[in-house]
Amino acid sequence: MQKSGLLPELTPRHREAFVGYLFILPTYVGFTIFILYPLIESVRISFQEFSLLRGSTYIGFDNYVQMFADARLRIAYVNTIIFTLFAVFFNAGIGLILAVMLNRRLPVLMRNLYRSIFFFPVLIAHTYIAVIWRFLYHYDTGVVNYYLGVFGVEPIPWLSNAHWAMAAIIILDVWKNTGFAMLVFLAGLQSIPNEYYEAAQLDGANERQLFFRITIPMLSPTIFFILVIFMIGALQVFDTIIVLTQGGPGDATRSVVLYVYEIAFRTFNMGYAAAVSMTLFAIILMLTALQFWISRRWVHYE
Amino acid sequence: MATIEANASRQANQTRGKSRKPINIGDIISYTILTIAAILVMMPLAWMFSTSLRPAQESYHLPPAWLPTDFRWENYIAPFESSVPFVDLFINSMRITVAVTLGQLVTCSLAGYAFARLRFPGRDLLFLLLLGSLMVPFQVTIIPIFLLMRDLGLIDNPLAIILPGLISAFGVFLMRQFFKQMPQELFDAARVDGAGHVRSFLQIALPLAGPAMATLAIITFNATWNAYFLPLVFLNSWHKMTLPQGIALLTGYMGSGNPSVVMAAVTMAIIPVLIVFIALQRWIIEALTRSGLKG
Repeated sequence: MQKSGLLPELTPRHREAFVGYLFILPTYVGFTIFILYPLIESVRISFQEFSLLRGSTYIGFDNYVQMFADARLRIAYVNTIIFTLFAVFFNAGIGLILAVMLNRRLPVLMRNLYRSIFFFPVLIAHTYIAVIWRFLYHYDTGVVNYYLGVFGVEPIPWLSNAHWAMAAIIILDVWKNTGFAMLVFLAGLQSIPNEYYEAAQLDGANERQLFFRITIPMLSPTIFFILVIFMIGALQVFDTIIVLTQGGPGDATRSVVLYVYEIAFRTFNMGYAAAVSMTLFAIILMLTALQFWISRRWVHYE
Repeated sequence: MATIEANASRQANQTRGKSRKPINIGDIISYTILTIAAILVMMPLAWMFSTSLRPAQESYHLPPAWLPTDFRWENYIAPFESSVPFVDLFINSMRITVAVTLGQLVTCSLAGYAFARLRFPGRDLLFLLLLGSLMVPFQVTIIPIFLLMRDLGLIDNPLAIILPGLISAFGVFLMRQFFKQMPQELFDAARVDGAGHVRSFLQIALPLAGPAMATLAIITFNATWNAYFLPLVFLNSWHKMTLPQGIALLTGYMGSGNPSVVMAAVTMAIIPVLIVFIALQRWIIEALTRSGLKG
């Protein structure tokens, strides 16, 4: 157990370095095999006409050029962007509203109860939730249309109409994930020092001013964090869609990741799939960079 | 947590301090919205559970009965007798999840400790490189990993999912944060007593790292238990699949499966999550909040 016994020839500094490298070795072996190598390999494959049987040939930028003419890819991107904008907006917005309300004067027991209820769906697999909601969204026998009918709304073809299918996926996503935004916002709200509110109240600030002049600026790092992780998550939407609509009707809910999955593992056109995945990777990288750059300018850090 | 709660209620009291009345219009609006939201969140789960106990033909009755009207526990046996090998799926999911969770606890605590408390050339660069991998989406690396697994003959083998899951940049980050916060005096004292680095790790750092290890275990367990994409890519024969795959298939094309049986299966798949959540909920919430805020 004591390394010093095994390595008598090393100085203490070298021994420390040796143990350090030894400790990160398992992680770095895995990192190299399952992240670094596949990432580089993916770039290489994206320049190939790839065939599982006949071997691959380099075709330069052909895969990338092909994307510009690919109408289905364009649809998949439009769908993904629409989904991302709505999902991020509602997840963050509703999460913030719930957190602000939970942060009011509530008995601790009530706060914890509400918080647990809102949070629980976050822990359930997208797959199971999509399976449940597929029944709820049913046109004739679904619970959703029944209750809308009670309020006089005509039955909605949730999963068979192009626009409603996207709405169905967004609603499901918000139902599942807004609890996570709520949780993080609540923690952010609770970490704002009281002194700020006390000082502002002494100066005669009203509640609206307290909210917009103190709460929101102080919460901006949290808001920023939620926006970034929800956006990155939403751009990769897959599980819900493949279970709920399988990209349909037509291509109405086909996301970029679902499209990549289908090209790669159903038609085995891996070169093109790798090229498409590179575009998504580039977008996610740029988004992260842009968000961090913007955050430096407007986010309030203590 | 207790201090956060106290802090919050103090702040809430103080924010609302001007209104002398115990109940005001803002409180009523808050309670109403929170309650409506809570009902909306619970309804699909209530429907799932009550449907799982009804005869199939009644699952389409409208208005739906939110509470169980019947107690057909045989619906819970049906998945085991269906064409889907439910027991196998459960065991497969459990095996993969436990292996990945244990593996990450080992690799992440080791690497986290090294990055936090040991000095070696290139340490910060290696850590940054690892952190950068958090930005690499799984669908970018999946194609080469698939080809690699195919060459290794691991398609339709749980190892194809377990092996890439054994490491986690997020887990290393989490453990590193925790080890960094430990007081240096602990380690100095151990050094004086003649403990080497390995012994300091095993006998001092690790026993104190319970909360961080538990956080990582919960997050990894849940994520792996719920994973769908990797199993979908790698596992294709019935008796090798995981639970989410099996339940998606049990539902049948366009939801043609018997709703009562499907909901019984989903309920059984969710119950482990629910039990863990109820048992450890304060703790899970605190852990996820902390990891989220620092992520």
